[in-house]
Amino acid sequence: MTMVSSSMPPEPGLAARLATRVAARVALALRVSWPFAAFFIGFFLVWEYSVVIFKIPGYILPTPSQIAANGWADIPRLLDYTLITGAESLIGYALAICVGVPVGLAIAFWKPLQRTVYPFLVSLEMVPKIAFAPLFIAWLGFGLLPKVIIVVLVCFFPVALNAIHAFGSLSDELTRFCRSTGAGPLRTFWKVRLPAALPQCFVGFKYAALNATVGATIAEFMGSDQGLGFYIQIATGNMRPDLAFAGIFFLTLLGLALFGAVSLAEKLLIPWHITLRRH
Amino acid sequence: MGATIDIRSLTKTFGVGPAAVHAFGPVDLTIESGSFVSLLGPSGCGKSTLMLMIAGLLDASRGEIFFDDRKVEGPRTDIGIMFQDNTLVPWRTVEGNVALQLELRGLDPRDYADRIRDLLRSVKLDGFQRRHPYELSGGMQQRAAFCQALVHEPDTLLFDEPLGKLDAMTRESIRSDLQTLWMQKRPTVVFVTHSIEEAVQLSSTVCVVTPRPGRIERRIDIDLPWPRNLEVKASARFTQYVREIQGIFHDYGVL
Repeated sequence: MTMVSSSMPPEPGLAARLATRVAARVALALRVSWPFAAFFIGFFLVWEYSVVIFKIPGYILPTPSQIAANGWADIPRLLDYTLITGAESLIGYALAICVGVPVGLAIAFWKPLQRTVYPFLVSLEMVPKIAFAPLFIAWLGFGLLPKVIIVVLVCFFPVALNAIHAFGSLSDELTRFCRSTGAGPLRTFWKVRLPAALPQCFVGFKYAALNATVGATIAEFMGSDQGLGFYIQIATGNMRPDLAFAGIFFLTLLGLALFGAVSLAEKLLIPWHITLRRH
Repeated sequence: MGATIDIRSLTKTFGVGPAAVHAFGPVDLTIESGSFVSLLGPSGCGKSTLMLMIAGLLDASRGEIFFDDRKVEGPRTDIGIMFQDNTLVPWRTVEGNVALQLELRGLDPRDYADRIRDLLRSVKLDGFQRRHPYELSGGMQQRAAFCQALVHEPDTLLFDEPLGKLDAMTRESIRSDLQTLWMQKRPTVVFVTHSIEEAVQLSSTVCVVTPRPGRIERRIDIDLPWPRNLEVKASARFTQYVREIQGIFHDYGVL
């Protein structure tokens, strides 16, 4: 006995429907971004053939195909180091958010901190944080900890300063509306202040995501025996710019992955925000 | 019926010492229960300041306000309040924004589902419950904000130029909705506006507010039949009231 009425048209299989949707998305992406794709491919073609035509030696500037081939030959080490630099960036980044957001909250809501800690943070923001890197290496050695601390340092400020701004800028109307309901500070926070602050917080999170891999790489330049920064430095010292470029390629992937993850979180958490609305 | 609001020698000064700005008052005014009182004046005359003080959202420098003999000493939670810039939040739907008023009060919106639906229908927003504010026109947003201000059944409503940013046609249509609601439930309404026509059309009493420092120059009871439809607005008496008020502002150098 069949449960499905015979008059129903046959449903296309799930796989077939999925394939149609994927094909439609790819077609759309191609239609919209083919100029970018063409430029991107063109850039690497020009690079490749300029090196060949002008007879630039490989130890000065390798071709993209050499970079790909030689990078592929060293792939286990590159992947290994990507994980290490990725871990440094990710741990530092997460710590910066865990510390930066509460600090921002405290400053936004507690007046005495606004007159003491806040000006201090703003003046520290003027200091190039990366200048502290050699000191931390000297104090803490070659391990994971000094790298994480440097990543925290370069990520903390955008997170904290944007959080202060985010939590301190609810409109007068909404503030008054909340007060007129008699809601306590905690309920007001969860229902209104927190969601209202998220877009500005994400501005800081995204900016910090860009800083994270920069911090990790420079920290590795300063002193380390593993990671992509270390790899690039050694490759350059050994006159192997092809391998240095391969390292840069993986660093780029790392940065893209982190930024992409934060952007995805933003899309999921605040789909209502003006910059993310689908029309 | 709404509360009787009694305002006694109310004064507001911003700042202290020689830099202090005397913004408003002294004002004495009784707003009768169930009346619709407009505070009409040019921008910067302190009419919004007065409204915020009535709501208990701004402290008076001197003087007192009473709601049915209870002194205002902090934000009043038994009122509905609406501003020119609406208090809809972008992350909630129309329905969710109306429910926000209840949730902030610790009430369960599910117990009010029928009321929310009826309110939205009364301002012609049925079918838009699940839309977000940015998907609505300015007029529809103000209608939604109106439901948000009313859902907890306040018997006193404070409006601060709620129609200030809308086009003329939308204003006209929301005014008539507002009037219908007031005639049905007779809440006490304090309505801040800078439109003479709007004040005369909606109010039982118009308080003409003049600036620097803001004070109530005249109290004019509007003796026109309800509802104040287009016919009433076309009448000679309506025009007379508008002229009279224009004259006051003219003498004061505002018009």
